[in-house]
Amino acid sequence: MCGSDRPRRERGSGRIAVLSALAAFLVFAIAAASAAACGPPVARQTVPGTPAIPAATFAPGWAMAGALRTFTGQDLFNQIDGGAELFLEFGFANLRLQAYARDKAELTLGVYEMESAASALGVYLMKMGRETPFPEIAARNSGEEAQITIVKGRYFVQVDNLGDVPASKAEAAALANAFLAGVAAEDGPTPLDALPAEGKVPGSERLIRGPYGLQPYFTFGEGDILQLRGKIFGALANYRRPDGAAFYRLIVPYPDAAASAAALAHLKANLDAYIKVTADRPDGFDFIDFQSKKGSVARSGAVLDIRFNVGD
Amino acid sequence: MNKRSYRSMPPDDTVGRRDFLKAGGAIGAGLIMTGRSLVAAQQTQGQQPPAKPAGPPPKPKTNIDEALKIPRTKWSLPGPFPGRVVEVHDPAAMPEGKVDAAVVKAMFEKGIRELTGKSLEKSFGLFFTKKDVVGLKVNPVGPGLISTRLEVVDAVIDWLTAGGLPRKNIVIWDRFDYMLKDAGFTAERYPGIGLEGLQTMDEAAAEGKTEDNSKWLKADGTHVSVPNFDPKVFYWADVEGPKDLPYLNQHVFNGKHSYFGKLLTEKLTKIVNLPVFKNTGNAISMATKNIGYGAVCNTNRLHAPLFLDVCVEVPAFWPVRDKMVLNVTDGLRSQYDGGPDKNAKFAYIDNRLYFASDPFALDMVCHNRIVAKRKEMGVAVNENPRFTEYLRYAERLGLGIADPAKIAHVRV
Repeated sequence: MCGSDRPRRERGSGRIAVLSALAAFLVFAIAAASAAACGPPVARQTVPGTPAIPAATFAPGWAMAGALRTFTGQDLFNQIDGGAELFLEFGFANLRLQAYARDKAELTLGVYEMESAASALGVYLMKMGRETPFPEIAARNSGEEAQITIVKGRYFVQVDNLGDVPASKAEAAALANAFLAGVAAEDGPTPLDALPAEGKVPGSERLIRGPYGLQPYFTFGEGDILQLRGKIFGALANYRRPDGAAFYRLIVPYPDAAASAAALAHLKANLDAYIKVTADRPDGFDFIDFQSKKGSVARSGAVLDIRFNVGD
Repeated sequence: MNKRSYRSMPPDDTVGRRDFLKAGGAIGAGLIMTGRSLVAAQQTQGQQPPAKPAGPPPKPKTNIDEALKIPRTKWSLPGPFPGRVVEVHDPAAMPEGKVDAAVVKAMFEKGIRELTGKSLEKSFGLFFTKKDVVGLKVNPVGPGLISTRLEVVDAVIDWLTAGGLPRKNIVIWDRFDYMLKDAGFTAERYPGIGLEGLQTMDEAAAEGKTEDNSKWLKADGTHVSVPNFDPKVFYWADVEGPKDLPYLNQHVFNGKHSYFGKLLTEKLTKIVNLPVFKNTGNAISMATKNIGYGAVCNTNRLHAPLFLDVCVEVPAFWPVRDKMVLNVTDGLRSQYDGGPDKNAKFAYIDNRLYFASDPFALDMVCHNRIVAKRKEMGVAVNENPRFTEYLRYAERLGLGIADPAKIAHVRV
């Protein structure tokens, strides 16, 4: 929608659409910002109790293999160094790992408790790949024989099936379901609700809460270039214009207009060296990147509406 | 087999992990690169970035100049075949997900022959003598899915022993001893072959199960693995390591020095690098990262400010530069996203091995291949030149070839 044929007009209408789509989301954003100021993540839990790690009775013949291992906060580095950044950026509380064995088959249950359901969803969307759900799993999931990736409430869950002899799909699903039975669903608005529906490519939605999540998509600059500060969720998706051209759209609802203005100013002042501004405005700018693909940043109230990788 | 996840390279910053978290990640993770790479990228690309009213802090100083002062040898990188990368593909290598050792051995022979122009027997002398002590640097992360396949290691060992190298002169090694075992590199599997981790780590203490640090922390406050590292040979960067005990447990030192393992400085005379084909974020974690972050300790602190530059600057030091004669990237099963830890959703059987004496040319070829795979699979990929700038930096240092126009990519 930011093509050279009619960029300004459509950006204007896009902003209106975004504001409309954000109406429901603002409730979520305000609640999240309020919660963020109220104490450490664990203290904000509203789900009563912590779901138990299942006993080995989820299927016949299985036994616990080793003790439960727990990693809290930054100790996640000790478990998945090089892979911990994404979890920490989204708001990680703790990880529990339990292995189970039956002869040469082995299943490992990994339960990541996140700050919020949105945090868990953010990680899941990054990890799910092309979503291929196993219908027997009692939650949103993306399954492969070797690994099932699941999200429910504030829990991101993985079941690894990497023994010398694979466990059956039914056994892996039984283990997952044994845990999920103790997890309360947390329905309600998510940051993804900020994304306008028109032209959105189904399944392409992602959440961004810092530089690590943004990295595979685009480089606007270094560090926390969008000033998300590990608190603010941006919602990103792939869009298609009626003529078939694709582009990415990232909607970031800041707590207030002052915050979005500060973020825009920071972005302008620290823009990546490979980005060339083609039109500068008080409320945003247009640009081309190193591949001559176009993009734009537009601020309206508390929201930044960013488009990139826009082809002609 | 116990499947643990990756532990060797946590992100870090100059104010420590806890401060990083307090800052909400604002400092940025490892791949949010700055300074040297970017400036160099601008020079390489011939693009003039706009002047900036404000910018990131300059990249920390390192002792790379000290490495470059040391005269090269006949074995120095990029080795005898700069810019040459051989890719061998055999669809029969992993039928039903299990490695066919005979096929892999044939692939290995084919790869060496195409790389060197000589038979396995005659090529041995291009890289080794019968008196060498050869270290095989494997990648044991993600065992059961994405670690270096034992059958690839077997093929290398067969080649070396057929060339006259005694088994006792071969050492399979990595940073961590327990990870080797988890990935199947055991004395029972490899009789007569050395197995060495540069360091140990007390997992119970790392997991917070015990406050008893006596298994790894000596009474004088130093790590039990300190003697495994060479105080005279180090990569220095103006970045302090965090001062907490978990960091010290995992990284042996926490100052501004990353010492090379004595295994490399004193025992090994040659190194064969055996990484796997996988990503780390938007970049790759293959040949240069396997050795760059595997040869030294205290790497956590380097991740944020110097991430991919470490993949160039550590190999620029003589224990790697003058000993690492061959790289074979295991792409039998590859992973295009979700790395460096294992992620089955993005792992796929690809039935390929890649061969090069020049690890930078090799990584450039593999980077381009992973970009293509990510596009094919509909995974986002950021093609900003900064993600390969470290390879061009290596070319400027004379360590390898990164310019695709100068790389001979041979497919077999």
